[in-house]
Amino acid sequence: MERSTGYWRVALLALPVTVFAVFIVWPLFSSFYYSFTDWNGFNPDYDFVGFTNYAKIITDKLFLNAVINTVIWMLAAILLPTALGLALALLIDSRVPGGALFKSIFYLPICLSAVVVGQIWIWIYQPDWGLLNTVIAQVTGDHPRYAWLAKPDTALGSVIVAWSWQQTGLSMVIFLAGLTSIPGDLLEVCEIEGANVWQRTRIVVIPLLTPATVVVVALSVINSLKGFDILYIMTGGGPFHSSDTLAMHMYNESFKKYLMGYGSAISVVLFLIALTVIRIYFRELRRVDEIYG
Amino acid sequence: MADIELRNVSKHFGEAEIINGVDFKAGHGEFIVFVGPSGCGKSTLLRLITGLDQVSGGQILIGGEDVTRLRPSQRGVAMVFQSYALFPHLSVAENIGFGLRLAKLPKAEIKQRVRETARILRVEDLLDRKPRQLSGGQRQRVAIGRSIIRNPKVFLFDEPLSNLDAALRVLMRLEIARLHKRLGTTMIYVTHDQTEAMTLADRIVVINRGRIEQIGSPINLYDAPANRFVAGFIGSPAMNFVELSRREGDCYLGASDQGADALLPQFTGEAAVLGVRPEHVMLADADMADLRATVEIVEKLGSETMVYLQTKAMDTPLTMRAPPESRLAPGERVSLRFERGHIHVFDHEGATISTR
Ligand SMILES: Nc1ncnc2c1ncn2[C@@H]1O[C@H](COP(=O)(O)OP(=O)(O)OP(=O)(O)O)[C@@H](O)[C@H]1O
Ligand SMILES: [Mg+2]
Repeated sequence: MERSTGYWRVALLALPVTVFAVFIVWPLFSSFYYSFTDWNGFNPDYDFVGFTNYAKIITDKLFLNAVINTVIWMLAAILLPTALGLALALLIDSRVPGGALFKSIFYLPICLSAVVVGQIWIWIYQPDWGLLNTVIAQVTGDHPRYAWLAKPDTALGSVIVAWSWQQTGLSMVIFLAGLTSIPGDLLEVCEIEGANVWQRTRIVVIPLLTPATVVVVALSVINSLKGFDILYIMTGGGPFHSSDTLAMHMYNESFKKYLMGYGSAISVVLFLIALTVIRIYFRELRRVDEIYG
Repeated sequence: MADIELRNVSKHFGEAEIINGVDFKAGHGEFIVFVGPSGCGKSTLLRLITGLDQVSGGQILIGGEDVTRLRPSQRGVAMVFQSYALFPHLSVAENIGFGLRLAKLPKAEIKQRVRETARILRVEDLLDRKPRQLSGGQRQRVAIGRSIIRNPKVFLFDEPLSNLDAALRVLMRLEIARLHKRLGTTMIYVTHDQTEAMTLADRIVVINRGRIEQIGSPINLYDAPANRFVAGFIGSPAMNFVELSRREGDCYLGASDQGADALLPQFTGEAAVLGVRPEHVMLADADMADLRATVEIVEKLGSETMVYLQTKAMDTPLTMRAPPESRLAPGERVSLRFERGHIHVFDHEGATISTR
């Protein structure tokens, strides 16, 4: 009996461990390995070049550009959906008429894949007949024919808006769940002590939503780190690298310029950045845990 | 300070009638305790007075003013919850000063009044802590502090001590009594612990199934319960009830062959149940006995002895309070006598029949 459960344990663990090893561990190490080579991605011959690829990162203007864009992208992709999701959750929770309906509508985009969302927003931003320009034309009486995704000034921002549109629903649902977990008697204390809506929200509700906020921010961080597909669909990092993030830059270097060694070096750096962000995050998490347990 | 008056207050949730036409008045500075079994509507009644729930019918007056339609914050009431309801993210000082902060008082004044309140409740060394870092008793004090700081007209407590252990409960009970003396504010206190009710109350309101069974001082309820429910609810251990049975025109104690006529001086045909408290059951000589019994269990409590006896008259054991030095042992046959003048008689509806 003992024996056979032991077998089963190994058997059941084998599959996930294998998947993890093949698709996570192995690529991780091979990236690390190739980052010290000049491999082009398909030629079996390559040489070791030491730290040349890493040295190149330091002098690569496009890399710096990608870092800046990544910071902008991540900050916006964390702050916007979190703030909007919170606002929507508070509104729906205050029993506005039709709240349940709005809840489903706002949640809907989460069910779509990034490719679909990207395509929808490409149409919205379309210069000649896109929804955005059409609305502007209606309001101002002047059709701007502005190509939102094709101008360096607006490309990244436009993708951020599309991204937030999709992520807000998720944040909202998590905040709504957080609101229901606030003990009713705390809200009743607010009522008895005479807190107005604003005071209640600011002094009591939002701080008590901290555990929900932690989850929302965690998901936003993780999702934004992964947020490659929507950029790829909508701008491909362009125009003129104005919406290049690290992930995008790495992709372009590896698969468009066939500099697999250099791309690997970028990916190693990206990995280290992600690791740092996540570590800081978990440290903060422990602090929150101490208060809200 | 203010008096509270409920006029024919009722409350239903959907179909369910929870409170049925409650009339009741509490005077200035009175300490009123609501007691009753779980689910009888004590909390609901308190929430109606606070304004957290709206009455389905009737009126509520505080200090002579009709507050039935006012919001909780406009009624001048403060409430202490069983769960303490402290804000986990705020310090003790911020929790106590919560109401003043909402009222936008100057910071210096808030600080000074928080200190003063914390001193009264002896939590002044804890002001910087978070609720999680406090013991149950300390949390309870902070919750009380938050409610007294605004000088409310009326204090409402919903089972404030039920999360504390027995020893702490006794201490906090004394502290609440002291607080009431000091502040002189009208207080309504909900509990299902009848010791708390007996010790704290000026008057007790006994509630059962959304109705008031009786209102009176603790001693009054103890000595002269209006009905069988109150008689059984007030007093610990509970009163013994003996059903009366009638055979061939004579009245007997339960299924026994003990005649009951001697116990019922003004015998009326309506007498159905006889009640006697454990301390009014005594050992007696066989010729003076009202009832014969067998000792089943003896509990030595140190200050007294509880004896549980089997009788033919009752299905459940009869409880007798005996002195600590009592030598009764299980299995012993004894003769019992009920102390005259302390026998309660109830009719078929459970209402008390006066025997005086
Ligand atoms: N919001 C509500 N909706 C429906 N029924 C309710 C609601 N609140 C209370 N009740 C019912 O009203 C009855 C009285 O409840 P209440 O909380 O007042 O009892 P209680 O006397 O305080 O009991 P306990 O001693 O257990 O606290 C219960 O049967 C309860 O199920
Ligand atoms: Mg209750």
